[in-house]
Amino acid sequence: MPAGHGLRSRTRDLFARPFRKKGYIPLTTYLRTYKIGDYVDVKVNGAVHKGMPHKFYHGRTGRVWNVTKRAIGVEINKQVNGRIIRKRIHVRVEHVQPSRCTEEFRLRKAKNDQLKVDAKARGEVISTKRQPVGPKPGFMVEGATLETVTPIPYDVVNDLKGGY
Amino acid sequence: MGGFVKTQKTSAYSKRFQVKFKRRRAGKTDYRARIRLINQDKNKYNTPKYRFVVRFTNKDITAQIISASIAGDMVLASAYSHELPRYGLEVGLTNYAAAYCTGLLLARRVLKIRGLDQEYEGNVEATGEDFSVEPADERRPFRALLDVGLVRTTTGNRVFGALKGALDGGLDIPHSEKRFAGFKKDDKQLDADIHRKYIYGAHVADYMKNLAEEEPEKYQSHFSEYIKKGIEAEDMEALYKKVHAAIRADPSVVKSTKQPPKEHKRYNPKKLTYEQRKASLVERLNQLNSGAADDDDEDDE
Repeated sequence: MPAGHGLRSRTRDLFARPFRKKGYIPLTTYLRTYKIGDYVDVKVNGAVHKGMPHKFYHGRTGRVWNVTKRAIGVEINKQVNGRIIRKRIHVRVEHVQPSRCTEEFRLRKAKNDQLKVDAKARGEVISTKRQPVGPKPGFMVEGATLETVTPIPYDVVNDLKGGY
Repeated sequence: MGGFVKTQKTSAYSKRFQVKFKRRRAGKTDYRARIRLINQDKNKYNTPKYRFVVRFTNKDITAQIISASIAGDMVLASAYSHELPRYGLEVGLTNYAAAYCTGLLLARRVLKIRGLDQEYEGNVEATGEDFSVEPADERRPFRALLDVGLVRTTTGNRVFGALKGALDGGLDIPHSEKRFAGFKKDDKQLDADIHRKYIYGAHVADYMKNLAEEEPEKYQSHFSEYIKKGIEAEDMEALYKKVHAAIRADPSVVKSTKQPPKEHKRYNPKKLTYEQRKASLVERLNQLNSGAADDDDEDDE
């Protein structure tokens, strides 16, 4: 019999619930609110069969473009042939988690704003740009003892003792 | 001797065992119902969805308006039947009539908090008929969903007494009259008179009359508190009418001025220390030995 390429083909492990996390899903998934423009991760919850995205979108992150009664519209990039299409799917909230991809950016933005305010108060001009990590500075090696290593002439009889 | 089977939970069993949610293990929360009660439409964002929670203990009735949040459920207002003595009801604090009073008290309280109490009077005269709040012109009525918990919803359950109290108080709670006391399954209709009787405690009053005639001793023991307070079967309806009026007059919360006790009362025996346990063991062994010695002496003789 041929393999079959149905909607949920090859998802036996992908959509399976994790070990000891079966059954009712915790209520915070239902209590979270999503606004248009938020970033969300799509992670399928195999316990809920409605509103499941296709397996391609499992693990993808996208922006919310629509909010309906029980589902979120998410815009996800998909590479088709040579181009990337922005695909719009609707996914039930059980299969969606708020993404932390912008968290670091938001924190840095807040911190930078604060730094700028402080600098302005002091009258300085600061740059809040991130600098890439440069080459490591030079250092002196401490406590090094010199050990000269020379090759030993090959001894056929002794070295073959272990069997060959 | 029958076979002794070693009931053992292997470590393999324990490793694979998935515990249910804590409140499910405690048998207190029905998560299937909870999910459906709490789930708010996503396009309503942070609009709270209020539940009208009614719970009965052996001596008290709790009615609360609760909204859910990730941090935990937030109680907007609560009413307990142990507050009813403030309004003139001292006995029978867990019956259908008391449930009605508690629901009514909670409804008036919530409406006062929200500033809707002038607009939504509800059903001032409790008739037992099915009453639903009419939305007024400007502000819509306060909406909540009944949360019974784990109670079996049979017709005439006290939970629906509380529901009726809240409805008559002016809350908008979607419901059907099927489960009110007095609903006749054969006619598929609510007999408003019977329901009204339950709201005013007439079912208790009838039992009181019955016992007083047939079994006066049982009447003395069963309704001792009523007798102490001097409440007769005929007074019931007037009493509850007064309580309803008092509730509508002043539903505000009164903070109790009792101080919490400095030392908490122990409900279980305190655990013994290692020395205490060894000492008690030594004592027990001595007693056994001396007892055995006496028995031996007796047997010898």
